[in-house]
Amino acid sequence: MRQFFNQLISFPYFFKIAQISFPYLFLLSISVILLGVLWGVFFSPVDVTQGEVYRIIYLHVPAASVAQSIYYTMVIASVTYLIWRIKMASVFMISMAPLGAIFTFLALFTGAVWGQPTWGTWWVWDARLTSTLILLILYLAIISLFSSFDRRASIDQAVSIVVLIGGINLPIIKLSVEWWNTLHQSASITLSGSSIDNEMLIPLLISILGFYLYVTAIGMRRMQVEILKREISHNWVKRIFQEKK
Amino acid sequence: MKSFYFKTFQRDSKVYLSRSSSFLGPIVFFLITITLYPLAFGSDEEKLAELSAGIIWISILLANLLSHQFIFNEDYKDGSLDLVLASGKSLFLWASIKIFVNWCFSSLPLIFLSLLTSFMLYLPFDAALILALTLFLGTPILSMFGALAGALTLERGNIVGSSIVIPMCLPALILGILAIQSYKNEEVLFYIFLLAAFLFFSIPILIASCLGAIRLHFE
Repeated sequence: MRQFFNQLISFPYFFKIAQISFPYLFLLSISVILLGVLWGVFFSPVDVTQGEVYRIIYLHVPAASVAQSIYYTMVIASVTYLIWRIKMASVFMISMAPLGAIFTFLALFTGAVWGQPTWGTWWVWDARLTSTLILLILYLAIISLFSSFDRRASIDQAVSIVVLIGGINLPIIKLSVEWWNTLHQSASITLSGSSIDNEMLIPLLISILGFYLYVTAIGMRRMQVEILKREISHNWVKRIFQEKK
Repeated sequence: MKSFYFKTFQRDSKVYLSRSSSFLGPIVFFLITITLYPLAFGSDEEKLAELSAGIIWISILLANLLSHQFIFNEDYKDGSLDLVLASGKSLFLWASIKIFVNWCFSSLPLIFLSLLTSFMLYLPFDAALILALTLFLGTPILSMFGALAGALTLERGNIVGSSIVIPMCLPALILGILAIQSYKNEEVLFYIFLLAAFLFFSIPILIASCLGAIRLHFE
């Protein structure tokens, strides 16, 4: 187990694994997303109060879930980097942050489209919407750090400090925003149970799984690119490209 | 024999006093921003009274951004930061003193000014006192986040610093405003205690991460 972990954080080994597994993972994720979304859109029952429009839930909830999860995994990576100086952790953070920003934007966008017919407005200054917006700003601030130093190690260190502070602060921000205002329906799926009917819940869960698989696949690809950027002058990279020829 | 930390305090105070832009800059900025709001929203008394707490908090938040660069930047440029790092003194205490001096010169004048401007914006006197109290608890948080941003971007001070600081400071702003809004009820204590908790919670974390951010320039 320990050996497997040690191999996984070495750049050449990870690169090889990602190279082999990416196509399968990518195709799997696309098919799972299609299964979940198509099932949700065409076969699941109509919502009593909201009508057909609720079906955007099959994009909205997975996107929001992925957007938050990416941040929490980045916090774990930042701690890993700050304590053990594992370079793979910083590669992970730097590759995932743009993905997180995109999915946060997607969650906000689908939320706005959903909010227009149900709440009668594109945007409300509600607790969850506001904290998601702040999450988006945080992602963008982290991305803007990428080019603020000349040395690679400085960028890694700065990014992990900001990610960590943001991670500590995010629950506090959420809580304080909640005291400030709340309108959004509370979380429908918790670990203890769900208030959604099974016929809607199953395609939703499939769709969430698909989004996570997709992020894993694309994240691996992005990490490969980031590794190539850093290790371009190393021999193992040259060997790979010579083999290709 | 004065200790190293006391000398740091003395020297920093002298530097801030001798350079008017460092402590007058935020004051001028604050007054200008305060003036902009009535010009933009109209001078209606009720409307301004409703907005005034938020106006003052936002103006102070923005004015605070001006002074981040002063905390560690000069020491970095003239090389004294190198010597402090090599000296083996408690960096935690040293950074706390530097942030404290910065707070004394950039935020403390603004807190007194906010009491004056609250009359100009028709805030009731009781609420103005609560406002001053929340600012007293809240501005050190802003200064520490500012110090962190300043320490991260020592080489080039740019907009990156402020875009990190403002989202992080939101809890302070929200708790401060909530306390002022409920100044007539019992709840005001609840929010003030929470704000104080946020302050004391962030002191060790933020100063430690400031030091981490400084060290990354010397690796």
